Amino acid sequence: MFKKILLATSGAPSTFGAARVAFDMARRYGAEVLVLNVMGVPTKAFSHIVNDVRTGEEIEVDDEYRAWVEEELKTTFEKQFEIVEYSQIKLTTGVPSREILRCARDEDADLIVMGASSGDSSVYRKGYPGSTLQKVAKAARCPVMTVHRETASYWGGFSNILFATDFSKQAENAFRFALKSAQEIGCDLTLLHALDISGKVLDQNEIEDQIIAARDRIRTTYVPLMGDFKDYDIEVWEGVPFVEIVKMAREKSADMIVMAHHSRELNPEKARIGSTMEQVILRAGCPVVSVSKPDKV
Amino acid sequence: MPEGIFCNKTPINTDEQLKATLNDKGGKQYYEEMNQLDVDSDKLWGAIRKTMKSRTRTWLEICAHCGLCAESCFLYQVNGRVPEQVPSYKIQSTLGVMVKKKGKVDNAFMQMCMETAWSKCTCCNRCGMYCPHGIDMGIMFSYLRGLLYSQGFVPWELKIGSGMHRVYRAQMDVTTEDWVETCEWMAEENEDEWPGLEIPVDKEDADIMYTCNAREPKHYPEDIAEAAILFHVAGENWTVPSEGWEQTSLSMFAGDWECCKDNVLNVYSAIERLRPKRAIGTECGHAHRATVIEGPYWAGREDGQTPVPYIHYVEWLAEALRTGKLKIDPAKRIKEPVTLQDSCNYVRNQGLKDVTREIISYIVEPGCFVEMAPNKEHNYCCGGGGGFNGIGLYREQRNMALRKKMEQILDTGCKLVIAPCHNCWDAIRDLEEEYEIGIRWSFLKPLVIGMLDVPEHLLPKDE
Repeated sequence: MFKKILLATSGAPSTFGAARVAFDMARRYGAEVLVLNVMGVPTKAFSHIVNDVRTGEEIEVDDEYRAWVEEELKTTFEKQFEIVEYSQIKLTTGVPSREILRCARDEDADLIVMGASSGDSSVYRKGYPGSTLQKVAKAARCPVMTVHRETASYWGGFSNILFATDFSKQAENAFRFALKSAQEIGCDLTLLHALDISGKVLDQNEIEDQIIAARDRIRTTYVPLMGDFKDYDIEVWEGVPFVEIVKMAREKSADMIVMAHHSRELNPEKARIGSTMEQVILRAGCPVVSVSKPDKV
Repeated sequence: MPEGIFCNKTPINTDEQLKATLNDKGGKQYYEEMNQLDVDSDKLWGAIRKTMKSRTRTWLEICAHCGLCAESCFLYQVNGRVPEQVPSYKIQSTLGVMVKKKGKVDNAFMQMCMETAWSKCTCCNRCGMYCPHGIDMGIMFSYLRGLLYSQGFVPWELKIGSGMHRVYRAQMDVTTEDWVETCEWMAEENEDEWPGLEIPVDKEDADIMYTCNAREPKHYPEDIAEAAILFHVAGENWTVPSEGWEQTSLSMFAGDWECCKDNVLNVYSAIERLRPKRAIGTECGHAHRATVIEGPYWAGREDGQTPVPYIHYVEWLAEALRTGKLKIDPAKRIKEPVTLQDSCNYVRNQGLKDVTREIISYIVEPGCFVEMAPNKEHNYCCGGGGGFNGIGLYREQRNMALRKKMEQILDTGCKLVIAPCHNCWDAIRDLEEEYEIGIRWSFLKPLVIGMLDVPEHLLPKDE
């Protein structure tokens, strides 16, 4: 299911976890790794002078600079390049989110793997709101895996996938991806709905009724889609959704969380605090896959 | 007659030449070669005799050296009010001398002219409004740039810029395939949120043909998507041409007249091919000046008009808001102090000052709009016009030039600047980067999309 994995990296340590997961998956599943580095964000109108994405310094991209960046990437990920059969490096300039999306489309990538935010870099913004991840997750046709707080669990491959649903249309796409992964990889799947009771004082009976209803809804919505697949659990936990998802991942020793992304809000002030997915990415100890579109699942 | 490999009198006409010139980092070799470049005085004088019209000759002669233009020039103001920055001095000491000497000038003189033409004038044309004789130094500097270009004395980036137009018929290396593909991509990326959204390419007899700036497909395709969303919501019957979509003209900044004509003919031939009722260009100032204001003359159109009415984006947007094709949700209007950057190229040069303010009246909560001072046709250049933004050699001078706009913005007390022009948008972005005054800046399209009252039938169904 993964023929082409697009690893978007600035080459900075914050993306090393993403690189390890991407290369490890490629080796395990015989996929090709496309290492994409967006060297800089264009500045100074139409000229090819860019601000380096890591240092923010102004640089001029020419053949010499390209060769240097390529060499740096090869050295940084030297060991990883050795373990995979197919890999290539792509260098470009532009706004990182836009170039990641462009490359994923041009190359028909099956999965995008990237690190989470390495901080608030004004270089990335350039007048457009939203983080690179938010923008990529919103528009990508394929699943987007983010590796922020990586643990070592995935060294043995994936053995437990946690699928968290809010019953949205996008969650159905996320489910298909989670199921297909579990089937092909041969691992366990947990279907979780986190019942949002944050900021509400509810009667305990009402909470329990809602839990029962949610369990039924998971059963009627997703179980018929699973066919012969039996290695699944259904869980509904009440609380603040991102906390419950992270707790469940820990409980199940999950090594991948799959969720839907459907926030339309790109304004960082509004979206970042409200977004369950962003919170899960920041807190979970395993890669988090966000699925928005049905195309590649 | 030594001609450099990169710096010479021949325009860039092939992709190989483009790539080679680009790889000369910062134009290092280019500018070294320029020191050796000979001036072809006969050719220069021939060009002056052939192309210098009576208006320019008269202007050069009747200038009374009164200096009333001095204070009108923002570059004079921000550079310590030195005499060398007085517009009349700047043009008399360059084009004036060149004509007096009948083209018999040397390399050092030409390099001085280059520095003056590209780092001491943004062709904003403000001086022309303050001269008692109506002498417009900006127009004469555009002319001087043409003479300099023909002799190979042009900043490296602009030689490349006009080369891009010659090779790609766009200011950046965006091919027809790239462009069409980008349109498909943007329609696809937004179709979930905007069911039925299309970017029709080469549709004949549409009401509107839309043209843009190559930076959009190259780096900021959201802009194309935003234009599509607004046309879609407004219910317009529109199209983009597969060829002739690029409206900008770095060749105008470079003084590459031959290429200017080619650019604009390329756009006009798209109009003739697709027969739209009218054409609309993106939020760009110089693109409008090149294609709509000056273009008809470059193309040799005697009536001075474009083949069909060709309006600026702000004109369409004002019309769509006025007629109710686009409706603003009053609750979502801008509720903070906000100011507006008047682009020289379509405000001072075409008078579209009221149109942008009409848009402001729809999208800003009454009482929140703060005018810059001065404003409208008296507004100052953003600081990066006429190609200034893109020239590495004059970076320091450009950064100094941004100070006027910075002062103007700071005086308004606003943290949000609406800049419906690519060049102004860039200059204001660079201004923030350089001086960190804590402002945000935006085109109109994303702001308007964020406050639309979208009709029910255009919203996604299942959510």
